Amino acid sequence: MRRSEGLALAFLIVFSIVSFLPPWRELEVAGMAVFGWLMAALMLVSPALMLLVFRRGGKR
Amino acid sequence: MIERVLVLLYLAGCVGIGIYASRRVLSSGDEYWVAGRRIGTAVNAMAIMASLASGGSIIGVMGLAYSRGIPATLALFAGAVVGFPLASLLVARPLRNFGRYTITDFLAWRYPSPIVRLLVPVSIVVAFTVYIVAQLKAAGITATALLGISYEWALVIATVVFITYVSIGGMIAITWTDVLQGLLMLIVVVGTAVAVTWRSGTPFELMREATAAAPELGSLAGQDVSSTLGFFVIWATAIPVIPHIVMRVFTARDARGARLALNLAMVAYSVMILAAVLAIVPVGKLGFPGLEDADQVFLRVMASEFPAVVRGVAVAAVLAAVMSTTDALLLACSSALTHDLLGGFFKWRLSERRLALLRVASAWVVGALALYWALSPPALISRFYTAGVGLLSAGLFVPTIAGLWWKRANRAGGVGALVAGVAVYGLTMTGTVELGGAPIVLALIASALAMLLGGLLARPDAPGTLAAVAALHDEAGP
Repeated sequence: MRRSEGLALAFLIVFSIVSFLPPWRELEVAGMAVFGWLMAALMLVSPALMLLVFRRGGKR
Repeated sequence: MIERVLVLLYLAGCVGIGIYASRRVLSSGDEYWVAGRRIGTAVNAMAIMASLASGGSIIGVMGLAYSRGIPATLALFAGAVVGFPLASLLVARPLRNFGRYTITDFLAWRYPSPIVRLLVPVSIVVAFTVYIVAQLKAAGITATALLGISYEWALVIATVVFITYVSIGGMIAITWTDVLQGLLMLIVVVGTAVAVTWRSGTPFELMREATAAAPELGSLAGQDVSSTLGFFVIWATAIPVIPHIVMRVFTARDARGARLALNLAMVAYSVMILAAVLAIVPVGKLGFPGLEDADQVFLRVMASEFPAVVRGVAVAAVLAAVMSTTDALLLACSSALTHDLLGGFFKWRLSERRLALLRVASAWVVGALALYWALSPPALISRFYTAGVGLLSAGLFVPTIAGLWWKRANRAGGVGALVAGVAVYGLTMTGTVELGGAPIVLALIASALAMLLGGLLARPDAPGTLAAVAALHDEAGP
């Protein structure tokens, strides 16, 4: 596994763990718990990040 | 009337694709199971998206968000989306380079044991039959609500159509129909979301208005952490090993194409799920508070907001979602029965002609069983099939990942991890044993412990096996 792939994997794991921390369950933005917004962000960020990593890897 | 004509046209198109594909695929296992391994990246991405986007992803996601709130629902679907990067990093290249047909092929090669040859395909057939039942329910309630035909007739028609094109057209028919179905789903769901949001102002205004009227929609109150975490973990760990997605990896031209396709598929899938949950569900909650069957929310929004033509396209889109997943599940079940069980475990050696007949017959048997069960379906389809997927994740995740990435993984560890994962998940999920915590987390911990013990205490694998596993990770393949 390349270093950039390892870093991307670590980022996704940390993002996921942080999203499940208790404070985000109570805080709300626009009527929805921040946890929900973090999950929505994760859905967009994770495939986009991997595409960037693989695209860079493919160019080498 | 116009709705029925549109749906009939769509169904006829699917059968036509199956008949056309059958000319190429029935004479070869490679063509039938993995489309000759020459599916391009963009086509594969759309097919992967359609395979994952089931009736649960249209009917079920909105039903779940309506009844349990948006944050908990997004945890489930975000888990699936995170599973794809994991799959592309951890399994796509080595499994594509492995170059066989099924996840059972890999596990039985890595951990040669009759237990693996038997337990893996049996788990796949059990879990996917449950999954197919959930999909059929979505097809039935959609056709009943928007076309006015009986639930039973809707099930029979949808089932006969998808079994026909899967059984005779194999992976090629599935890929072509999935591309058509994926495009249809994206257009209908995203188009509906844009239309209803346009009428209500901005998405944030819509969300504020809906959560002011129904605060539970945006809240996690009453949701315990273990169940939210359980949903997330089930899907994140299932995607890298779930057979109908893994078979898509085998169809790719090369490992890089497989990796790109997995992530491109998730971009489209995320856009569709977020459009459904953040726009259509709030409109449904405002317009139809207190629905008894939450799975009806999308259909009620469509029926109230759009004319007959759009409703016809929406029915076709839901059927597309159902069929695009069910066809892949059916092919995976069929391969588990014929290739893994009869060919691998019972060692049947048949001529290519008899094998072709057996593939067709097995698809019809599984489809008929699922149809019979779906005539009296369970409530809340997302929860139901998630339990089936959890069983596969519990049993297959640790053996697959460790088998590819841990040099100490060996036969004792692999078999132990498989049995421990399936047993602990089954016992805790059914409530036979109460340990506290999410069943999937407990099952994965038990599976990992079994792998660790087997790997550290039992005899290591032969150096030749380890060298072959290492070769799977090479960019050019072994």
